[in-house]
Amino acid sequence: MWIIMLFLCAFINRVTMNNSIRNIFFLLLTVMFCAPVASASGSDDKEGLDVKEIIFEHLGDGYGWEVPFFHEYRIPLPVIVRAQDGSWHCFSSARLTELIETEDVATGKKHHTLKPVPVKVDSGDKTYTFMLSGSEAHKNKVVELMPVPTDMEDRLILKADSVAVADNVQPDTVRLDGYEYVDGKYYTEYKPWDISISKNVLALLLAAIVVTAMMMSVVRWYRRHGMKAPRKGTAFLELIVEFVYNGVIKSTLGKKAPKYAPYLLTAFFFILTMNLLGLIVIFPGGANLTGNIAITLVLALLTFIMTNVKATKHYWKEILWPDVPIWLKCPLPIMQFIEIFGIFTKPAALCVRLFANMMGGHMIVITLILLIFIFGAFGAAAAGGVTVISIIFTIFMLALDVLVSFIQAYVFTMLSTIFIGLAQEEGHGHDEEHVEAQVSVTPAKTK
Amino acid sequence: MELFTPDFGLIFWMFVAFLLLFLALRKWAWPVIIKSMEDRADLIDKGVEYAQNAKEQLEGAREEARKYIAEAQKQQAEILRDAAKIKTQIIEEARNDAAREAQKVMDAAKLSIEQSRKEAELQFRNEVSKFSLEIAGKMMRKQMSSDKAQTELVDKLLDEIEKN
Repeated sequence: MWIIMLFLCAFINRVTMNNSIRNIFFLLLTVMFCAPVASASGSDDKEGLDVKEIIFEHLGDGYGWEVPFFHEYRIPLPVIVRAQDGSWHCFSSARLTELIETEDVATGKKHHTLKPVPVKVDSGDKTYTFMLSGSEAHKNKVVELMPVPTDMEDRLILKADSVAVADNVQPDTVRLDGYEYVDGKYYTEYKPWDISISKNVLALLLAAIVVTAMMMSVVRWYRRHGMKAPRKGTAFLELIVEFVYNGVIKSTLGKKAPKYAPYLLTAFFFILTMNLLGLIVIFPGGANLTGNIAITLVLALLTFIMTNVKATKHYWKEILWPDVPIWLKCPLPIMQFIEIFGIFTKPAALCVRLFANMMGGHMIVITLILLIFIFGAFGAAAAGGVTVISIIFTIFMLALDVLVSFIQAYVFTMLSTIFIGLAQEEGHGHDEEHVEAQVSVTPAKTK
Repeated sequence: MELFTPDFGLIFWMFVAFLLLFLALRKWAWPVIIKSMEDRADLIDKGVEYAQNAKEQLEGAREEARKYIAEAQKQQAEILRDAAKIKTQIIEEARNDAAREAQKVMDAAKLSIEQSRKEAELQFRNEVSKFSLEIAGKMMRKQMSSDKAQTELVDKLLDEIEKN
């Protein structure tokens, strides 16, 4: 029953390309799974696990790349930030955190946690301090710590004291949002320009390298074997290129296909590689790239640029003076408004579709795995049963995600092609000059 | 929500990575791949067309060959028939010639036999007359050895003359 529902939901969504149902679906799923957690963590606050944080940690970016099986150990990556005074700084992400070992007195278990520590970078005669922020606005991002004026600091200390008294805790454990309390001093946060080679950036570069290597292997085949048809992996790659190029690009764009094919093919293979790499759990993969809105935003933006920069006169004419009854466009530019709005909604839909589909897939898989730990609180039998079920579901979801990876890459490419194709129309079988002439004489009769 | 706010650094690097990838592939990969694919498709199309043509030609050639063979067979049959006719004719002629020759030889032989026979007859007659004369002479001499017999003969002969 469950499987059928899950499958139907996922399938219908992919087929109809409707994201709203899917979004609602996985939100529901998350809520459903979060509900028992809240109660579980309420009763057992020491061992309870913060499902939301785990999910977002896995879906989000990070400054280091987790080593397989050792949550506390991260592959250090360079952090590159621009301080407030305009100077650039680069340091290892390993310096941002400190491994803290705490021993539970009652059980004797050792816990390892990563604690953010300030990083002092000396540059010339100045010292810059950077730290992973604990505030809501820049959670887990590198911020520059700026000293606050003395009078301001006094006020902050007073405020912290009052909060400490109200909550009955030590004053130095109080967190004031937007401020960091380090070594007895308060600092304000400044969010620097941050172009760190984070986990996602490294995954991105790896994906780019993988795509290049794949395509160059095809090219190398041609160099070596001439007209002979490729074999094995190369043949598969060529098959996909052929599928996208002939099936989508050429059939939509016709003789303009060679002009736009490089962009569309690059987008397709890049998205596909990122999707598939994201499904691999350990090191070279595992970064939720296409489920990150920044990535899909850039892709959508590039499609937007490719669509509109070289659009034909006919396209702009259809937007600014569409072929509709005059009252729809003359005193009040209703149609123009809708059409111009449409220029932006089309790539926006591309962006959100890819993002939501890939993030949804990751989120469902993580949630399914977390179920094991959530039900672990209810005893061994519950945990055992749930493990079996959730592993089966996870495998099913991952298999489905492989399919979705292909479908979403394909859909993105296909829709981009269609948008570009629409912007490349020259009117109905006329050449451009002819259409122009007609437009100038009888604007309403060209269509 | 962190997930829904695009991160500047990631946008920056995505632009850079995509642009580099795009430029690299546009320069070195896509044109080569697309061209190779299309060239191969053309080659295969041409190959198929060529094979079809070849097949058709082969079919035509086979048809032609069959025609030639049929014609040749017809000619052969004709030639054979002619040859048979000529053969019989030659045999016939030869037989006729031989018969004629034989006839001639036989005629000549007959003639010579006839001649020989005639000669032999003539000779034989001469011989016979010679012998008969001799015999008659000898008998005469023996009979006419007595005078009486001579006189009687003379008388008889005379009688005969007288009767005539």
